[in-house]
Amino acid sequence: MRFDWSVVWANAGALAGGTELTVLLAAVTMALAIPGGILLALMRLSGSRLLAGTSAGFTELFRNLPLILVIYAAYYILPITVGVAFSPFATGLIALCLNVSAYNGETFRAGIASIRRGQSEAALALGMSRWQAMREVVLPQAVQRVLPVLASTWVSLFKDTSLVSVIAVGELAYTAMRIRSQTFRVLELLTAMAAIYWALGYPQAKLVDWMNRRFGVSE
Amino acid sequence: MTLDFSPVLESWRFLLGGLGLTLLLAASTVVCSLVLGGTVGLARCYGPAWLRAPLVFYIDSMRAVPVLVVLVWTYFALPIVTGAVLPPFWAALAALSAHIGAYVAEIVRAGVSSIRPGQTRAALALGMSRAQAVRDVVLPQAIVRMLPAFGSIISIAIKDTAIATVIAVPEYMNRSQTLAGESFHPIEVFLTAMAVYFIILFPVTRAVDMIYVRLAHLGRS
Repeated sequence: MRFDWSVVWANAGALAGGTELTVLLAAVTMALAIPGGILLALMRLSGSRLLAGTSAGFTELFRNLPLILVIYAAYYILPITVGVAFSPFATGLIALCLNVSAYNGETFRAGIASIRRGQSEAALALGMSRWQAMREVVLPQAVQRVLPVLASTWVSLFKDTSLVSVIAVGELAYTAMRIRSQTFRVLELLTAMAAIYWALGYPQAKLVDWMNRRFGVSE
Repeated sequence: MTLDFSPVLESWRFLLGGLGLTLLLAASTVVCSLVLGGTVGLARCYGPAWLRAPLVFYIDSMRAVPVLVVLVWTYFALPIVTGAVLPPFWAALAALSAHIGAYVAEIVRAGVSSIRPGQTRAALALGMSRAQAVRDVVLPQAIVRMLPAFGSIISIAIKDTAIATVIAVPEYMNRSQTLAGESFHPIEVFLTAMAVYFIILFPVTRAVDMIYVRLAHLGRS
């Protein structure tokens, strides 16, 4: 068996374009899922039965579904129910946002809940309003605990973007597999795809480890 | 828009067969990744020094590469390198186990290193051998602390089996796609799939939470 790696270099432009879309998709998803997660956490902690229940239901639903199923379902169900034809990119983005928002919501809720009650009680006793106590006492401490978890969600998200290749979003996995089926250089393209994900993902995983050591809570 | 679930109901045997394969694949993946990850994790903590670098490299690489990529590579590229063609089910089992095994290894390492070094020192001071200290003192405590994380490995395994559809393992996700294409009722088919996966996964996550609450105090030292 002879391998011909020149096929990878000949298609470097397309692969770079796919990589760019992967990064963009992950970044946009996270940019939307952080406010989404904060909203879910605030709904959960709002004290209103209805809001808390909706938030809990949403979170449980999307944490308990395989992402690839959510992507397929979004692809088939969204256009018919909403009546608008979404681009594959937008469909993938929506599916990823639903999934990551659910995880982020839990992260924020746990982060806020991890700050001892005494902290906000002390702030209230000092005459702060509930909102002030939240903003100036609880949140700054919660952010430190939330950061490492958000970082590892980011790494998962970065890898999970590969799943939207099943609905033909032209990101890295889709691009590599498309070139594979055009050139029949299976091993070369799939290895190049794995190598690119590895080169991007490895430093991120290491960074998360570092953040966990730096900011992580130890007993 | 009206929903018509009759194509789903008519094909219940077809779907149930897929569900069986999903559960079989998930269960085998959990077992294999526990064995693999347990071995790798313990070897990383207690094995010879020269073994540590390659194991860390394996673990971190698996954490860096999407499971889809591992799956596709194992099924399409591995046969070209080794000459051995794996049937889709076995390729999926190998790829998922290799991927999830790395996470298990991390859980094992975290569990073992969460036991204070004083425990091992006390065991050694009492005249236990190193192996005894690990087996009788460290592991019983560490395993209790690992249990909730192992529980979430089960739900990750079930969710990841759905990705095996891309290499045409006829599990539930794959059968749903087939049925969606044949019946022209994709919405009903995928809504059913969402309900089925949720009904399986929700009790698992709930049970994990409950076990965690039950066992948390046992892990204290």
